[in-house]
Amino acid sequence: MKPDNKGSFLSDFAPWLRQLRQRQGRLWLGALLMLLTLAAAIGLLALSGWFITTTAIAGSLLAVGAAVSVDIYRPGGGIRFFAVTRTVARYGERLYNHDTVLRLLADLRAGLFAVLTRLDGRSLGRLRAAEWLNRLTADIDTLDSLYLRLLAPPLASLLAVCGIALLLWFFAPSVAVTVLMTLLLAWLWLVLGQACLGMAASRRRVAALDRLRSSTIEQLQGLAELRCYRTLGMHRQTLLAQEQELYRDQRRLGRLQALGNAVVGLGVSLTAVLALWLGAGLYTANTLSGPLLVLMPLAVLAANEALALLPPAFTQLGATRAAAQRLNRLVASRSDTQEAENPIGPGKGAPGIALEGVSLRYSNANRFDGDHGSPATQSLLVPALDDVSFSIAPGERVALVGASGSGKSSVAQLLVRLIDPSAGRVCLNGRDVRELSLSGLRGCVGYLTQQTELFHASLATNLRIGNLQAEDDMLWQVLEVVDLHDWARELPLGLATWVGESGRQLSGGQARRIALARVLLTQADMMILDEPFAGLDEATIKRIALRLDARLKGRTVLYLNHDNRYLPGVSRTLSLHSGRIVFGTE
Amino acid sequence: MRATRKQDISTPRGWLNAQAQDVKAWLALAAGLGILAGLMTVIQMGALAWIIAQLISAETPLKQLSGAFGLLLLVIAVRALAQWGQESAGVEASLRVRSKVRTYLLDHLAAVGPVGLSGRHTAGLGGQLVEQVEALDGYYARFLPQMRLVLVLPLVILALVLWLDWLAAIFLLLSAPLIPLFMALVGMGAERLNQQQFVAVTRLAGHFLDRVRGLTTLQLFNRADASIDEVFSAADDYRRRSMRTLKLAFLSSAVLEFFASVAIAVIAIYVGFGLLGYISYGPADELTLFSGLLILLLAPEFFQPLRTLAQHYHDRAAALGAADGLMKMLELPVSTPVFTPDLAQESSTQSSEAGACIRLWEACVTYPQRGRVLGPIALSIAPGECIALVGPSGSGKSTLLQLLAGFIKPAQGRIEITPEAQIAWMDQRPWLVHGSLADNLRLAAPDASDAQLLEAMAQADLEELVSALPDGLNTRLGERGLGLSGGQAQRLALARVFLSEAPLVLLDEPTASLDADSEAEVVIALKRLVAQGRTVVIATHHPALMALADRVLRLERGTFSQHGTLSNETR
Repeated sequence: MKPDNKGSFLSDFAPWLRQLRQRQGRLWLGALLMLLTLAAAIGLLALSGWFITTTAIAGSLLAVGAAVSVDIYRPGGGIRFFAVTRTVARYGERLYNHDTVLRLLADLRAGLFAVLTRLDGRSLGRLRAAEWLNRLTADIDTLDSLYLRLLAPPLASLLAVCGIALLLWFFAPSVAVTVLMTLLLAWLWLVLGQACLGMAASRRRVAALDRLRSSTIEQLQGLAELRCYRTLGMHRQTLLAQEQELYRDQRRLGRLQALGNAVVGLGVSLTAVLALWLGAGLYTANTLSGPLLVLMPLAVLAANEALALLPPAFTQLGATRAAAQRLNRLVASRSDTQEAENPIGPGKGAPGIALEGVSLRYSNANRFDGDHGSPATQSLLVPALDDVSFSIAPGERVALVGASGSGKSSVAQLLVRLIDPSAGRVCLNGRDVRELSLSGLRGCVGYLTQQTELFHASLATNLRIGNLQAEDDMLWQVLEVVDLHDWARELPLGLATWVGESGRQLSGGQARRIALARVLLTQADMMILDEPFAGLDEATIKRIALRLDARLKGRTVLYLNHDNRYLPGVSRTLSLHSGRIVFGTE
Repeated sequence: MRATRKQDISTPRGWLNAQAQDVKAWLALAAGLGILAGLMTVIQMGALAWIIAQLISAETPLKQLSGAFGLLLLVIAVRALAQWGQESAGVEASLRVRSKVRTYLLDHLAAVGPVGLSGRHTAGLGGQLVEQVEALDGYYARFLPQMRLVLVLPLVILALVLWLDWLAAIFLLLSAPLIPLFMALVGMGAERLNQQQFVAVTRLAGHFLDRVRGLTTLQLFNRADASIDEVFSAADDYRRRSMRTLKLAFLSSAVLEFFASVAIAVIAIYVGFGLLGYISYGPADELTLFSGLLILLLAPEFFQPLRTLAQHYHDRAAALGAADGLMKMLELPVSTPVFTPDLAQESSTQSSEAGACIRLWEACVTYPQRGRVLGPIALSIAPGECIALVGPSGSGKSTLLQLLAGFIKPAQGRIEITPEAQIAWMDQRPWLVHGSLADNLRLAAPDASDAQLLEAMAQADLEELVSALPDGLNTRLGERGLGLSGGQAQRLALARVFLSEAPLVLLDEPTASLDADSEAEVVIALKRLVAQGRTVVIATHHPALMALADRVLRLERGTFSQHGTLSNETR
């Protein structure tokens, strides 16, 4: 973890507080309900104490035959009122505030997703790492509880403390001032002291857990090597050391939180004793009645409930701050591919494309890589493109072949502007693609990526990502092209069949073909097909290639593949090796 | 509660409690200190009530009460200390249990071994192991100690109130039979929350992650903007559905709150009326300001342990869920006798210049469901020999290698490898870890010097790569060696083989996942390895690798079809 204390504490939270402001009304109402619950608890105990003392005094006077009248109905009614209010307000508060938190969660998820949609291909590629995704969801969850843990409780408890002091002010201003001072001191400790002492350890927590997780996964994946090399014990020691590092912090935080909880009890009880002592002085001087003397410490004791919410939240403030900082970095990340100021349309019909002296070098910037060692080696080790030039005429079909890692996919990513070149120009119909509107460009170019990405949704929904308006018969047509129509017809739910997480209930070949069908459904004027037949057997490939040939008629096509076998209608083959065009055959 | 505690360890609950055995002392300390804190609260309330009664009813001057005030302060201090100790002891118990369970699970999975874990999603398994062990936290730190407090403190308070005023005690007692009902209600609420909410929340997180993972696709199809709304409405829909569940789930704790509040109200009114002399029945006319006030102050404390338990109930639900997952891991069958890694230096390798000698006598490998997959096999490999194992997939090549590596034991027959030393292992999936190039190499030889590392890199043809890197051997690799091509990663694993001085090298299809260029590079490096005079066994389909071998052995359905086929190239 970098000791990143550059941004001030408040500026870390500022964007998130701004987002909360959109739901201001709900937030205030939720805090008010919380305060009402606390007020009812204070009222219940204080009024009960007052009532018992009043009746005790009256009772002893009555016993000696004095004429005393005691109003028993109003205090009794008050006690019942507070008892019911406390229950109802608590129930309402929990329900209302959970609703608010879930609304905030929806806001946050959609807001961050909007940020992510603006990122370029390279940033998104980095983001696919499972570890990073897990942390993203965990961070969002941490921040959506910002209000319920860190804003409403301190506010409500502060107001409750002030309320208690105000109540006492009417009877004994001097006692009220002292009570206010000591309870405020406790409040300050619980908010600031706990936060400061727990800051470093709770900030480290997420990163330490990540390290432990990746070591554990490593150990399971490397069991064969570790056992053979007889270094399992050594690796286990590293893992246990990481665990102990994590647990040192957890122990520190656990004890700190225990301290906070003890301070709540200590602070409230001592203040109550102080109130009793000072009140007793006033009582003996006859400036305070007996019932009010009892009311004061009891009202103070009820503050326990108000302050008890603070230690768990503020001890872990560092973790919340770290989450906010990570998400801030994400939000601040800028995409390399910015849309032109006055974008133009790509033009009609099958386009011609050209790469003119295109080079691609990866920059070393890690925009939101978080706390871990980043793959800084990427820039040095991944082959980039080096002065690549070629063109494809409208309606022509060209195969770009080369080994994996030779830079084929980079060419495709440049054409659809998932990335931009470091030097040179990528042109579509003679216009630099950077002048075109992103949506226009991507509407004109259909791209089957090397990696198959299907969504956890129905087969139809997955296909219609290619074309939202497509009728069912259009879906069946493209399924026929990829030779899946018989298979789909036999599914009990047909097109409504749910495709498992990331399409996992399908075989690799089936998922691949659905992805191909999805691209074909777009009816884009240009198609880039990256290894369209990966994972398919020869017979299937031959069947599909034939239908694909007809389907691609009149379109510009760029195939990316290991070789040009089976690719229908290829007029030219270009070979790419380590980022350079080695030869082209007509 | 007690009767059900003696459950066998095949249920999640029984298993959780069995793990608590090792931290009994810490849990007892936590519970003991919790009870002490509770007793101090009772004394504190007693002292408060007594001081007030002395001031008002007995009109004792304040000065004479300073002793009582002193006692009060002492009690409050002891209570705070006990409270701190209770929670700290709970934290300690939880840390120890989690550490022990993690070690136990890792040992078990090591014993399950690479063969037993093959075909499992190890990344998922590892992540699950970490998360689920951590999810046990609250159960040991908070729930278990609180369970004991709930059984003791309310009874102490009830006894005290009974002594003060039996009618008031009856008010509390009336709610006492309801306590198991509360528990059930709270439990049901928590269970419902846990089951339904957990599923829903996981599904929602899954939906979000699914869309994030597929963002490039959404961008390419111009669907990214529309997906923002979709993400929002999925979350909002989840909110609407879960609010329906929460309305019911929160009711259970509201009932508990209600009884606690009503008990205070009823007792306050009863005591008030009693003190006024309006109630002539029972012990009411014996009520004093002291006893009345004390009963009032103790009423909320009667319910407090239960309310705290209700707050910790989700800890229990989380731990039960986690225990279920962890027990499933422990059910994975162990393929070798329990393998406990010796934490002391185990890499005391007798480096031998000569290769290992291998002899197999009619060795067989059988799997429970699949029957005999290998053998009987008789084989003798001389030191320094290079053997290529060929044959169709499923013929037992990998099984034979796994047998030689000791991942599985022969069902029949015998196997002897001399000297018993380190073995170098490499398969088609190069195993790389988070860390530097040097960290990755030292997994084979922890004590190797930088010079040795560089030499090993050179032998694996990675010299150029290292010298091109500004940080050299200290260059860090990303997740799963991100930044290295497949061939480079495989050669890094090969450098590890060179670095180790293992006399026996086992290679399982080392070039299967590589393209032609990378494959050729790896073959060149392998040639160098074979020339070092170690005993090398390679399972392969690749002609270039077969050409390296002194003998090519063909396996078919678990047995050799031809013996001792000498390759034309004799060293």
